[in-house]
Amino acid sequence: MGLKLFFKEIDNITEHDDEALNLLKKRLLGAAIVVIVFFTIIVLRLWSLQVTHGKDFEKRAYSNRVRVQEVVAPRGHILDRNGKEIVTNRPSFNVILIREDSRNLGDVLKRLAPILKKDVSELWEKIREASGEPRYLPIRLKEDIDWETLAYLENHNHAFSGIRIEVQPVRVYHYGDFAANTLGYLGEISKKELADRDREIYSGGDLIGKRGLERLRESDLRGEKGKNYSEVNAKGFEQQLLKSIDPLPGREIRLTLDAELQQIAETFMDAGEKSGAVVAMEVNTGRLLTVVSAPSIHINEFVGGISRTNWQALLDNPKHPLINKAVQASYPPGSTYKMVTALAGLAKGAITEDTVFYCPGYYRFGNRTYRCWKRGGHGPVNLKKAITESCDVYFYQVGQRVGVDGLAEYARKLGLGKKTGVEMEYEKSGLAPTKEWKLKYRNGKWQEGETLSVAIGQGFNLATPIQMCVMTAALANGGKVYRPQLVETVVDPEGNIIESFKPELMTEVKGLDRYFRLIREGMEGVVQGKRGTARKVAIEGLRIGGKTGTAQVVKIAVYRHLKEKDIPYKFRDHAWFTCFAPADKPEIAVTVLVEHGLHGGSGAGPVARAILSEYFRDRLQESRPEIATVP
Amino acid sequence: MIRMDRRLFENFDMVLMLFICLVCIMALFNLYSASFPHNTYGIAPYVRQGYFFLMGFTAFVFVISFDYQELHTLNYPFYVLITALLVIAFFVGDKAGGAQRWINLGFFRLQPSEPAKLMLVIALASFYSRKEVVDGYSIRQLLIPVVLTAIPFVLILLQPDLGTALMFGIIFVSMTVFVKLRVSTYVIMGSLALGLGGFAWEQLLKPYQKQRIQTFLNPENDPMGHGYQIVQSKIAVGSGGTFGKGYLEGTQGHLHFLPERHTDFAFSVWGEEWGFTGSLIFLGIYFLLLLWGIHVAMYAKDRFGVLLAFGVVTLIFWQAVINLLMILGFLPVVGIPLPLVSYGGSSLLTTMLALGILMNVRMRRFQNPQSTDI
Repeated sequence: MGLKLFFKEIDNITEHDDEALNLLKKRLLGAAIVVIVFFTIIVLRLWSLQVTHGKDFEKRAYSNRVRVQEVVAPRGHILDRNGKEIVTNRPSFNVILIREDSRNLGDVLKRLAPILKKDVSELWEKIREASGEPRYLPIRLKEDIDWETLAYLENHNHAFSGIRIEVQPVRVYHYGDFAANTLGYLGEISKKELADRDREIYSGGDLIGKRGLERLRESDLRGEKGKNYSEVNAKGFEQQLLKSIDPLPGREIRLTLDAELQQIAETFMDAGEKSGAVVAMEVNTGRLLTVVSAPSIHINEFVGGISRTNWQALLDNPKHPLINKAVQASYPPGSTYKMVTALAGLAKGAITEDTVFYCPGYYRFGNRTYRCWKRGGHGPVNLKKAITESCDVYFYQVGQRVGVDGLAEYARKLGLGKKTGVEMEYEKSGLAPTKEWKLKYRNGKWQEGETLSVAIGQGFNLATPIQMCVMTAALANGGKVYRPQLVETVVDPEGNIIESFKPELMTEVKGLDRYFRLIREGMEGVVQGKRGTARKVAIEGLRIGGKTGTAQVVKIAVYRHLKEKDIPYKFRDHAWFTCFAPADKPEIAVTVLVEHGLHGGSGAGPVARAILSEYFRDRLQESRPEIATVP
Repeated sequence: MIRMDRRLFENFDMVLMLFICLVCIMALFNLYSASFPHNTYGIAPYVRQGYFFLMGFTAFVFVISFDYQELHTLNYPFYVLITALLVIAFFVGDKAGGAQRWINLGFFRLQPSEPAKLMLVIALASFYSRKEVVDGYSIRQLLIPVVLTAIPFVLILLQPDLGTALMFGIIFVSMTVFVKLRVSTYVIMGSLALGLGGFAWEQLLKPYQKQRIQTFLNPENDPMGHGYQIVQSKIAVGSGGTFGKGYLEGTQGHLHFLPERHTDFAFSVWGEEWGFTGSLIFLGIYFLLLLWGIHVAMYAKDRFGVLLAFGVVTLIFWQAVINLLMILGFLPVVGIPLPLVSYGGSSLLTTMLALGILMNVRMRRFQNPQSTDI
């Protein structure tokens, strides 16, 4: 039908007159306008792309053509004060997938999963997580594979297209959990951390210091990433390596810690399954020699990311291994506080060396009876005897004469009640209570009876183990309160010393040398004296001054009638022991807190004794023959 | 039948020839760069394109050798032949990019959809020049042109090649509007087009075709996927800046960031290497070539000549505009080449044939040359 019509039309060829042709030709003007309009649009667009935004596109063209691949920098080593390697790096072999290079991914993963001892779905999950990333970026399928797996994959690489082995430095801990709560650990950078940080420095998948010194010294330790610039085509194949910047290793940090002392303290705490803290510090500088928090985290659980179950176990552990008890926990200082009361009493003129109080075993104030720990009483007590035998009745009365604000004044002068500023996280400030404090935070007027509790280190008093160590050092050195420090030197990869230790004096109590000497004599009696509360700590040939303390956990008398070993663990008192040596010319201060350790002398003393005997080992060996010759 | 009159040589249009040659020379230079560095296997694209240019010029000479009036009759065998090739391509054609488009002739892979464009131009020009209507065509009178357009359109749409198929619609609309329609015809055709478009979107478009159109609307969302080509093309052209990176210095093309850089995206290589200045010169010459084509139509001696010249300009212009707008990120990637510039024998031969027709109309622009020559 249509075809017939078509041929019919051909028959009707008409002659055209010029007028009709001219009408048609006039329409060509419209065609010309259309051409002009479209070419104008194209030229304007070209102007916009090339002239207006040419520079932007030039930048994009450059990044387009150059692929930058990062090379992780080896993290700075951490050494002890004698140069022993505590934390260094080792190569970790990771299995990575580069999607761009992969073929038959499904088959490859099926074959790969059993070799990596993983489920295929697990591998797919990892790939799915990275689906938004450029296809040339590696996806880590498994970290830190063993030699056997590595050898197998290397030998059969033709069967695993897109699968490669990446070598990355990871932390190796030569001393196990050495100061683990203080040095901290690494973890993969979180989305939030990434958002807060410079994208030039960090990128997804990076390891970053999560806790402790690893976190606080992140900028020193991390080094600078290396970069490989390679020219690639759009298919992702590398054409040539344009330039390669080697990574700059992180700075080496030498700690003030002494590996031997630290280990002895850790072993002691671990062996007794103790929970608590040990801090040892140089008296005249503030260099920390040991910082132990027990129980410690297990650092190797954190390598390659801690598992959910392990993390939950840490959170659930009643001994709180995640808390660095040296700084992040505060306890009533107990009798170790009595030196503060003594100093305040002497300095304020409330007592003298010879002031004597009679101790019948209790002290009556108002309608209450305040007991001495020794039921039978100490009889007449002067200052030295009061410290040596830790007489509560004596210090009740000194405290009463000085008043709570006077006690707080001297507590603060000795470094209590405020943060020491040590390079550790989440430090607690402790508490040196005053009348004003109670009005403000406890909404109550100060009761004089409370002063009595404070005077013997109970009540509202709180102190961290590191504060007690700083205080002990200040007592030992005659009033100089040094900031405790952890870092001896920071050395860059070229060997330049970027930072080195300088003692930092926070406060100094001046003009009270005589009183400090008196207190030290009292403390020496604690260890050396026949009636001292820490006689067991004594070391032959070394003069030690110390003080025991007991921090009450519960005040209720329910458990008083029980034998100590029958009191439930969590209601047992905390044990303090703080000391310095040598007594005549102090060098080192050691503070030990054992949670629920009952008695300072027996619960906490042995750790301090072990540290001291190690610290003075050489000198003790020299002095022994002398002792032998003077029988 | 073939009379090469002296008058014909005198009327050979040197201006038109100059524009054609300039565009061809620039196109070959550009192709050399676009296929650089050259693969070791096979003949380099620029060499092959050189051969095609020679073939194209031969075809050009062949076309100007006879009076374009002969096309009224040559039109039928041409139409039947090309339609047959389209059918063959559909059933036994080589697959490329998921579409059946090629007929392998051994030395040359023919893309019948390219000559089919010219075929439609000639057929419509012939029809509209024979059937003249003073007050515009009615819808009934458009039946034959619609059928002439629909046959290649459907065959190519089935390949499936949406972009090329739409070119037939564009040629049809351009030429039909040019010869004047009744208002009622506009209304009916317009509503039919809308209805068919909606139906096609819902029922006929392949997912990848929809994807291309959707990607075009927001290419930056998916720079490594479907929007890749557009983004890369914009980067290539944009990074050329005002003066370009210099010949053979373009990085986007050479590092294979630019897809199909010697075929559909050939101009982005030019834009990258010669910058805005070079692009302006190139487009200027191209523009003058098209305007000169309209000039040829203006001075054609009869309605058929006007329609043929206009049709050739339409064919080249719309392909160029669509290709350039695509390269510059204004249109989705539709697979329309830039005539004379994009690599591809079928397109080049077709364009040279079309330009030959243009030259033919130009050379025979005077009434009855034999009689006035005495």
